[in-house]
Amino acid sequence: MKRRSFLKSTMVAGASIAVGAGVLSPTIALADKHGNDLSKAKSLDEVMKIIGATGAEASDKIKIKAPEIAENGAVVPVTITSEIEGTTEIISITAANPTPYSAKYTFGEGAIASVKSRFKMGKTTDVVAVVKAGDKYYMAKANVKVTKGGCGG
Amino acid sequence: MAKSTIKLRTKEKGGKVQVKALITHPMDTGLQKNKKGEKIPAHYINEVVVEANGKMVLTAEWTGSVSKNPFLSFNYAGAKGDKVKLTWKDNQDKTDSIEKEVGKK
Repeated sequence: MKRRSFLKSTMVAGASIAVGAGVLSPTIALADKHGNDLSKAKSLDEVMKIIGATGAEASDKIKIKAPEIAENGAVVPVTITSEIEGTTEIISITAANPTPYSAKYTFGEGAIASVKSRFKMGKTTDVVAVVKAGDKYYMAKANVKVTKGGCGG
Repeated sequence: MAKSTIKLRTKEKGGKVQVKALITHPMDTGLQKNKKGEKIPAHYINEVVVEANGKMVLTAEWTGSVSKNPFLSFNYAGAKGDKVKLTWKDNQDKTDSIEKEVGKK
Protein backbone atom coordinates (compact mmCIF):
# COMPACT_ATOMS: atom_id res chain seq x y z
CA MET A 1 0.00 0.00 0.00
CA LYS A 2 2.80 2.33 0.91
CA ARG A 3 4.50 1.70 -2.32
CA ARG A 4 1.39 2.41 -4.29
CA SER A 5 0.96 5.84 -2.82
CA PHE A 6 4.64 6.41 -3.26
CA LEU A 7 4.41 5.72 -6.95
CA LYS A 8 1.36 7.87 -7.26
CA SER A 9 3.03 10.81 -5.65
CA THR A 10 6.03 10.50 -7.90
CA MET A 11 3.79 10.52 -10.92
CA VAL A 12 2.06 13.62 -9.66
CA ALA A 13 5.41 15.23 -9.30
CA GLY A 14 5.84 14.54 -12.98
CA ALA A 15 8.97 12.56 -12.57
CA SER A 16 9.86 10.70 -15.70
CA ILE A 17 11.48 7.96 -13.74
CA ALA A 18 8.96 6.19 -11.62
CA VAL A 19 10.93 5.52 -8.51
CA GLY A 20 13.08 8.46 -9.22
CA ALA A 21 11.80 11.28 -7.08
CA GLY A 22 12.43 9.45 -3.88
CA VAL A 23 15.89 8.54 -4.86
CA LEU A 24 17.42 11.92 -5.41
CA SER A 25 20.23 12.37 -3.05
CA PRO A 26 20.71 15.49 -1.03
CA THR A 27 22.45 18.37 -2.64
CA ILE A 28 21.62 20.66 0.23
CA ALA A 29 22.47 20.57 3.87
CA LEU A 30 24.88 17.73 3.75
CA ALA A 31 27.43 18.58 6.35
CA ASP A 32 29.26 15.43 7.13
CA LYS A 33 32.92 15.01 7.75
CA HIS A 34 33.80 15.55 4.14
CA GLY A 35 32.24 18.97 4.01
CA ASN A 36 30.15 19.71 1.00
CA ASP A 37 32.44 18.47 -1.69
CA LEU A 38 31.09 14.98 -1.81
CA SER A 39 27.48 16.00 -1.74
CA LYS A 40 28.12 18.30 -4.68
CA ALA A 41 29.90 15.70 -6.70
CA LYS A 42 27.55 14.80 -9.50
CA SER A 43 29.40 12.05 -11.22
CA LEU A 44 31.39 9.00 -10.42
CA ASP A 45 34.59 10.64 -11.65
CA GLU A 46 34.15 13.60 -9.34
CA VAL A 47 33.58 11.39 -6.34
CA MET A 48 36.62 9.33 -7.18
CA LYS A 49 38.66 12.49 -7.44
CA ILE A 50 37.54 13.83 -4.08
CA ILE A 51 38.20 10.66 -2.18
CA GLY A 52 41.51 10.42 -3.98
CA ALA A 53 40.79 7.09 -5.59
CA THR A 54 41.25 8.04 -9.23
CA GLY A 55 42.93 5.24 -11.04
CA ALA A 56 41.92 2.69 -8.45
CA GLU A 57 42.92 -0.76 -9.51
CA ALA A 58 40.10 -3.06 -10.55
CA SER A 59 40.09 -6.11 -8.36
CA ASP A 60 38.19 -9.37 -8.48
CA LYS A 61 38.70 -9.75 -4.77
CA ILE A 62 35.88 -7.33 -4.17
CA LYS A 63 32.52 -8.99 -4.40
CA ILE A 64 29.38 -7.00 -4.88
CA LYS A 65 26.19 -8.88 -4.30
CA ALA A 66 23.34 -6.95 -5.77
CA PRO A 67 20.26 -7.97 -7.72
CA GLU A 68 20.61 -7.87 -11.49
CA ILE A 69 17.12 -6.53 -11.71
CA ALA A 70 15.64 -4.47 -8.91
CA GLU A 71 11.93 -4.03 -9.12
CA ASN A 72 11.81 -1.44 -6.41
CA GLY A 73 14.58 1.10 -6.75
CA ALA A 74 13.81 2.51 -3.31
CA VAL A 75 15.12 -0.57 -1.58
CA VAL A 76 17.98 -2.39 -3.25
CA PRO A 77 19.95 -4.74 -1.03
CA VAL A 78 23.67 -4.58 -1.70
CA THR A 79 26.38 -6.63 -0.04
CA ILE A 80 29.96 -5.60 -0.55
CA THR A 81 32.70 -7.95 0.51
CA SER A 82 36.40 -7.33 0.25
CA GLU A 83 38.86 -10.18 0.41
CA ILE A 84 41.79 -7.85 0.10
CA GLU A 85 44.02 -8.05 3.12
CA GLY A 86 44.13 -5.00 5.31
CA THR A 87 40.89 -3.51 4.09
CA THR A 88 40.02 -0.51 6.21
CA GLU A 89 37.35 1.25 4.19
CA ILE A 90 34.59 0.37 1.80
CA ILE A 91 32.94 3.17 -0.11
CA SER A 92 29.79 2.52 -2.03
CA ILE A 93 28.95 4.73 -4.98
CA THR A 94 25.70 4.60 -6.90
CA ALA A 95 26.86 6.03 -10.21
CA ALA A 96 23.57 7.24 -11.65
CA ASN A 97 22.15 8.91 -8.57
CA PRO A 98 22.21 12.71 -8.36
CA THR A 99 24.61 12.37 -5.47
CA PRO A 100 26.49 9.22 -6.31
CA TYR A 101 28.43 9.05 -3.06
CA SER A 102 26.22 6.75 -0.98
CA ALA A 103 28.00 5.31 1.99
CA LYS A 104 31.36 4.84 3.51
CA TYR A 105 32.18 2.10 5.98
CA THR A 106 35.25 2.24 8.13
CA PHE A 107 36.28 -0.99 9.79
CA GLY A 108 37.77 -1.26 13.20
CA GLU A 109 39.85 -4.04 14.60
CA GLY A 110 38.37 -7.48 14.22
CA ALA A 111 35.67 -6.43 11.81
CA ILE A 112 35.22 -8.56 8.74
CA ALA A 113 35.25 -6.44 5.62
CA SER A 114 31.78 -7.19 4.44
CA VAL A 115 28.69 -5.10 4.85
CA LYS A 116 25.15 -5.42 3.74
CA SER A 117 22.74 -2.54 3.57
CA ARG A 118 20.05 -1.19 1.33
CA PHE A 119 20.29 1.67 -1.12
CA LYS A 120 18.01 3.79 -3.21
CA MET A 121 18.57 3.84 -6.92
CA GLY A 122 16.97 6.30 -9.30
CA LYS A 123 17.48 4.32 -12.43
CA THR A 124 19.56 1.54 -13.89
CA THR A 125 23.01 2.16 -12.57
CA ASP A 126 26.42 0.86 -11.85
CA VAL A 127 27.19 0.22 -8.22
CA VAL A 128 30.84 0.93 -7.64
CA ALA A 129 32.63 -0.32 -4.59
CA VAL A 130 35.88 1.35 -3.71
CA VAL A 131 38.03 -0.45 -1.19
CA LYS A 132 40.89 1.10 0.66
CA ALA A 133 43.59 -1.27 1.85
CA GLY A 134 46.73 0.27 3.18
CA ASP A 135 47.35 3.30 1.02
CA LYS A 136 45.89 1.82 -2.09
CA TYR A 137 42.46 1.91 -3.58
CA TYR A 138 40.77 -0.92 -5.40
CA MET A 139 37.43 -0.97 -7.10
CA ALA A 140 34.75 -3.21 -8.51
CA LYS A 141 31.54 -2.61 -10.34
CA ALA A 142 28.15 -4.23 -10.66
CA ASN A 143 25.21 -3.20 -12.74
CA VAL A 144 21.70 -3.06 -11.34
CA LYS A 145 18.73 -2.70 -13.63
CA VAL A 146 15.92 -0.79 -12.04
CA THR A 147 12.53 -1.46 -13.56
CA LYS A 148 9.75 1.06 -13.34
CA GLY A 149 6.76 -0.95 -12.36
CA GLY A 150 6.46 -4.14 -10.45
CA CYS A 151 6.31 -6.24 -13.57
CA GLY A 152 9.81 -7.57 -13.31
CA GLY A 153 10.54 -6.56 -16.92
CA MET B 1 10.85 3.73 28.19
CA ALA B 2 10.15 4.99 24.77
CA LYS B 3 10.41 2.45 22.04
CA SER B 4 13.86 2.42 20.52
CA THR B 5 14.35 3.32 16.89
CA ILE B 6 16.86 0.54 16.62
CA LYS B 7 16.36 -3.17 16.40
CA LEU B 8 19.62 -4.92 17.05
CA ARG B 9 20.30 -8.64 16.71
CA THR B 10 23.55 -10.32 17.44
CA LYS B 11 24.55 -13.92 16.92
CA GLU B 12 27.79 -15.68 17.71
CA LYS B 13 29.03 -18.50 15.51
CA GLY B 14 32.50 -19.92 15.21
CA GLY B 15 34.28 -16.94 16.70
CA LYS B 16 32.36 -14.48 14.61
CA VAL B 17 29.59 -12.24 15.77
CA GLN B 18 26.97 -11.28 13.29
CA VAL B 19 25.43 -7.90 13.90
CA LYS B 20 22.18 -7.00 12.24
CA ALA B 21 20.50 -3.69 12.79
CA LEU B 22 17.32 -2.14 11.53
CA ILE B 23 16.80 1.53 12.22
CA THR B 24 13.51 3.32 11.88
CA HIS B 25 14.23 6.54 10.05
CA PRO B 26 12.66 8.41 7.10
CA MET B 27 15.98 9.06 5.31
CA ASP B 28 14.54 11.98 3.35
CA THR B 29 16.84 13.16 0.63
CA GLY B 30 15.68 16.76 0.62
CA LEU B 31 14.58 16.59 -2.98
CA GLN B 32 11.37 14.71 -2.67
CA LYS B 33 8.12 16.65 -2.61
CA ASN B 34 5.00 16.04 -0.61
CA LYS B 35 1.51 16.03 -2.07
CA LYS B 36 1.27 19.81 -1.87
CA GLY B 37 4.44 20.17 -3.88
CA GLU B 38 6.47 21.40 -0.95
CA LYS B 39 9.91 20.02 -0.55
CA ILE B 40 10.44 17.64 2.32
CA PRO B 41 13.56 18.83 4.10
CA ALA B 42 16.58 16.56 4.09
CA HIS B 43 16.55 14.28 7.07
CA TYR B 44 18.84 11.32 7.02
CA ILE B 45 21.32 9.49 9.20
CA ASN B 46 24.85 10.50 8.40
CA GLU B 47 26.73 8.47 10.93
CA VAL B 48 26.36 5.06 12.50
CA VAL B 49 28.93 3.78 14.94
CA VAL B 50 29.05 0.19 16.17
CA GLU B 51 31.21 -0.59 19.16
CA ALA B 52 32.01 -3.92 20.76
CA ASN B 53 33.17 -3.71 24.36
CA GLY B 54 33.83 -0.01 23.88
CA LYS B 55 35.97 -0.47 20.79
CA MET B 56 34.84 0.75 17.40
CA VAL B 57 34.27 -2.08 14.96
CA LEU B 58 32.38 -0.29 12.23
CA THR B 59 31.62 3.30 11.35
CA ALA B 60 29.21 3.97 8.55
CA GLU B 61 28.80 7.35 6.93
CA TRP B 62 25.58 7.49 5.05
CA THR B 63 23.89 9.90 2.70
CA GLY B 64 20.35 10.19 1.41
CA SER B 65 21.15 7.43 -1.06
CA VAL B 66 20.58 4.88 1.67
CA SER B 67 17.08 3.47 1.84
CA LYS B 68 14.40 4.45 4.27
CA ASN B 69 14.47 2.45 7.49
CA PRO B 70 18.05 1.45 6.85
CA PHE B 71 19.36 -2.02 7.43
CA LEU B 72 22.93 -2.86 8.24
CA SER B 73 24.57 -6.22 8.62
CA PHE B 74 28.18 -7.23 9.14
CA ASN B 75 30.40 -9.63 11.10
CA TYR B 76 33.31 -9.15 13.39
CA ALA B 77 35.60 -11.48 15.31
CA GLY B 78 34.09 -11.62 18.76
CA ALA B 79 32.58 -13.82 21.40
CA LYS B 80 29.49 -14.37 23.47
CA GLY B 81 29.06 -11.79 26.18
CA ASP B 82 30.48 -8.94 24.10
CA LYS B 83 28.62 -5.74 24.61
CA VAL B 84 27.62 -4.38 21.25
CA LYS B 85 26.57 -0.78 21.11
CA LEU B 86 25.11 0.97 18.11
CA THR B 87 24.69 4.72 17.91
CA TRP B 88 23.30 6.77 15.04
CA LYS B 89 23.22 10.47 14.42
CA ASP B 90 21.31 12.31 11.73
CA ASN B 91 21.71 15.64 9.97
CA GLN B 92 19.18 17.23 12.30
CA ASP B 93 21.33 16.25 15.24
CA LYS B 94 18.94 13.63 16.50
CA THR B 95 20.55 10.59 17.92
CA ASP B 96 19.74 7.23 19.45
CA SER B 97 21.66 4.26 20.68
CA ILE B 98 21.17 0.75 21.92
CA GLU B 99 23.39 -1.71 23.70
CA LYS B 100 23.10 -5.48 23.75
CA GLU B 101 25.04 -8.40 24.99
CA VAL B 102 25.89 -11.02 22.39
CA GLY B 103 24.02 -14.26 22.99
CA LYS B 104 21.26 -12.66 25.02
CA LYS B 105 17.86 -11.81 23.74
